[in-house]
Order: sequence, then C-alpha cells, then structure tokens
Amino acid sequence: MTALAPRLLSVLKLGLIIVAAVAIQAALISRLRILGVTADVFLILVVLVGVSRGAVTGMLFGFVAGLTADIVFLDPIGLRTLVYLATGFAVGRYVEEFGLSSAWVIVLVTAVVSLGSQVIYGLFQFATGPEGELFAMMRSQMLPAAVLDGLVAAPLYLGLVRLRVLPAPGASEPSFR
Amino acid sequence: MPRNPVVRRRVLFTALIVVSLLLLTAFFREPATGVLHTVQQGGFGALSPLQSLASRAVQPFEDGWRWVGQAVQANDQNQGMRMQLEELRGQLVTLREASQENERLKGLLDMRQADIFPQGATFVVARVIGRSATKWQSWVQIDKGSADGIVLNQPVVGATIPVSGSLSGKGLVGKVIAVAAHAAQIQLVIDPGSSVAAVVQGPRAEGIVEGTVAGGLLMDYVERDKLVEEKLVVVTSGFGQIFPKGIPIGLVQTIGEVDVNIFKQIVVLPFVDFSSLEEVMVLTSPVQFGVGVEAMDSVVPLDPGVTAP
Repeated sequence: MTALAPRLLSVLKLGLIIVAAVAIQAALISRLRILGVTADVFLILVVLVGVSRGAVTGMLFGFVAGLTADIVFLDPIGLRTLVYLATGFAVGRYVEEFGLSSAWVIVLVTAVVSLGSQVIYGLFQFATGPEGELFAMMRSQMLPAAVLDGLVAAPLYLGLVRLRVLPAPGASEPSFR
Repeated sequence: MPRNPVVRRRVLFTALIVVSLLLLTAFFREPATGVLHTVQQGGFGALSPLQSLASRAVQPFEDGWRWVGQAVQANDQNQGMRMQLEELRGQLVTLREASQENERLKGLLDMRQADIFPQGATFVVARVIGRSATKWQSWVQIDKGSADGIVLNQPVVGATIPVSGSLSGKGLVGKVIAVAAHAAQIQLVIDPGSSVAAVVQGPRAEGIVEGTVAGGLLMDYVERDKLVEEKLVVVTSGFGQIFPKGIPIGLVQTIGEVDVNIFKQIVVLPFVDFSSLEEVMVLTSPVQFGVGVEAMDSVVPLDPGVTAP
C-alpha cells in the first residue's frame, strides 16, 4: 500500500499535466504565433517526461498524450499516438544510455525530436492527403517550429521541476519500470 | 508479463505500437458514425466552450500583440501600402465602370454589395474561436453551429483589416466541414485539401484554386491559350455546387507555364488575411448551390486529407 501511494501520485501528476496541456494548447498556445509557427506543448511534455522518467514512463505518457491530442484536435486517431509514444521511448532510452549532461541537452533533444516528428507527420500527410510541399514546409514551418519547441522546453522543464511535477535532475522518482 | 525489465519494456513498446497502428487503421476504415469518430466528436464538443472562453480572455492580448507587430512594420509598409491602395482604387474604379456593362463583374471586389450573392441569401455572423494547431491543415473554429442554421458545405466569406499581402481584405474564406450544436469547423481555402472552381476575370480563364501547405493559393488547370495577366481578379465560377458564382478570391500574382504541362499554374494572392481572421459570415441560404439541408445534430468530424463532399 505504501509502495503504491507514490506511484499513484506520480500517475495523477502526469494525468494533470495532460489535462493542463489540452487547456493550454487549445486556449493559449494555438493562438500565439512566434516565428510564424506555434509550439507543440504535447510533444515538449512527452520529451520532458521521457527525459526525467525514462523510456517506459515516457512511452506510456506519449501514448496517452498522443491519444488525447488526436481526439481533441481532430487528428486521425492513432497518428500522434504513434509519433509521441515513439518519441517518449526514444528520448527515455537516450537519457538512460547517455545521461543528461546539461540542461541544453533538453533544448537540443526537443528541437531534434520536434523536427523528426514533424517530418513523420508531414510524410503521413503527404502519403494520405493532398499534394504537399515538404521541402518548402521544412524551411518555412518545420525548422522554426523545432527551434520554438526547443526554446519553450527549457523554461517549461524548469517550471515543472520547481512545481515538483517532474523530478529534479538526479532525484529518484517512482517510475513504471 | 516477462520479469526481465528489458524484455518487458520491449514487449510493452511493441504492444503500444501495434495498438496505435490498429487505432489508425480503424479510424480510416470506419464510417463517420463509428466509435472512434464518435469519441472524437465528444472531445471536439467538450473543447468548444473552453476555446470560446479563452478566445474572449485572450483577445485583448492578441490585439495588443498584433498592434505592436503592425506598429513595428508600419514604417516599412507605409509606402508599399500606399501604392497597393492606389492600385486597388484603380481596380475598384475599373470594376465599377465595367459593372455598368456587365452585371456579373459588378462589385466583385466589394463584399458589402449584396448582389454578388444569390437573391435571398442570408448570413450568420460568427466569431473565430480556434485555429488548426498545425500548418498541415488550415481551418478555423467558429462559435456558431447547427443551432444557428449552419450545415455542412455552406460557403464562408470574411473581411479582415488590410495588412501586408492582403489588398482588399474581403473575400472567400472557405466552407463548413464539421458542425456541432454551437460550433463549426471551417476549412479555409488555403487548406491543402481545399479546391474551389474559379475564373480569372477578363480572359474568363477557368481553373481550380487549391490551397497549399505553405498557406497560399494556387490556381491550376488553366488552359494555356488563355491570356492571363498579373493583378487580375480571381472569383468563384459557381461550378462545383458549393460556392456561389462571383465571390472574390484574390489577385493573380504570378503565372507559371511549363512546356511539358498543358495547363498554366497561377499563384493567387488571397484578398483575405487568414492570420488575422476574427469574424466570418456563413452563407446559410439559399440551398440552390448545393448546401446540404439535412439536420446536423451531431458533429461530423474532419477526416484529414479528405474534403467533405
């Protein structure tokens, strides 16, 4: 029972993060364009959870966050789910293997992951939807969005650590492993 | 479940990947009334009040942000704006003169003239309360829905404050592609999945205006023997049974011709500045040009990449 309590608390925290992400993305972020693009709070959170809690929690969180985003933002159900769970897993594995040497790693990882996920998303749209201009989008949308996501990740991570929603670097927190 | 953490992790990862792929497959295979679509409808409907509320709360900050941005650019744009204004005035005068001879050309650049729409046309004015989260789709969500008489495929027009890149600010916005009781989703004409039958005024060159993922407009399938010049006005042709004839779309910006292509491709500069779209007008009647008349009590969600019939 005592071992279960921190785990439940951890799940509750992550659930609240998703609820807050829906509200923030829908109400605020989607209306705020910087560099001509909007940040993807869900993707950033998946990266942060993967970084701070490892591959298994990262992919579970990615799965739930992606499913939620698919539902409320009218994307094909399963698309973001797939991309985010792969993101959570990959980021978690990276940090488990190589550690988190600097806070800048979070910025860099988020930017790279953001670019990668947008390319996948774009390829999917290209394959299933109308004719796309992938290279034009790469320059005008994907790269600015990757930069923005990376820049937003750092303060968001610090804020969530300060609010004790995510563990501080080096701190031991319950994981699903 | 395996005891080895590594094996367990791999099994879990594989299982989740499989579940995601199954969800994706099921979503595309099931009809619009299927379970996954129904769940999505619930999410869409539940989020509407939040977006409506946020829209009102954030509006002053948006206005302030926009004002700052416009003020910074104002000096650079001033000269260009004056030239554009003169060009627009010239075109407006020309069109007004032509309208005395040809009723069809009358007032295409002025959305306030009601006679560009079918007789008896009525409008529902709605506020924009949400926008697509990614650039791969271009849609807006409005605060009016089936309770206000909005149904699928109704044309939507709008007016924005003229800013850089937008000459008159008034023109075609898109069409309704999903409806809830008090909200609706509008596919913008710049959406890559949008296609509108259009005609270039003057040479009467017909074609299809399509959105691009870069947020622009491209008019395709224009016969090469038609002499199209820059700055000509592009309007809806009335073909396609959705958009009434004569709604201004934009101006011919550049004309592309490739030897191996039997058609011209024309880049169209839209009249409406979609990034600052705050209010739109949904053309709710009459139904002669293909607007559905069936009651839409539930949301019909958007299938990405698929234009609603």
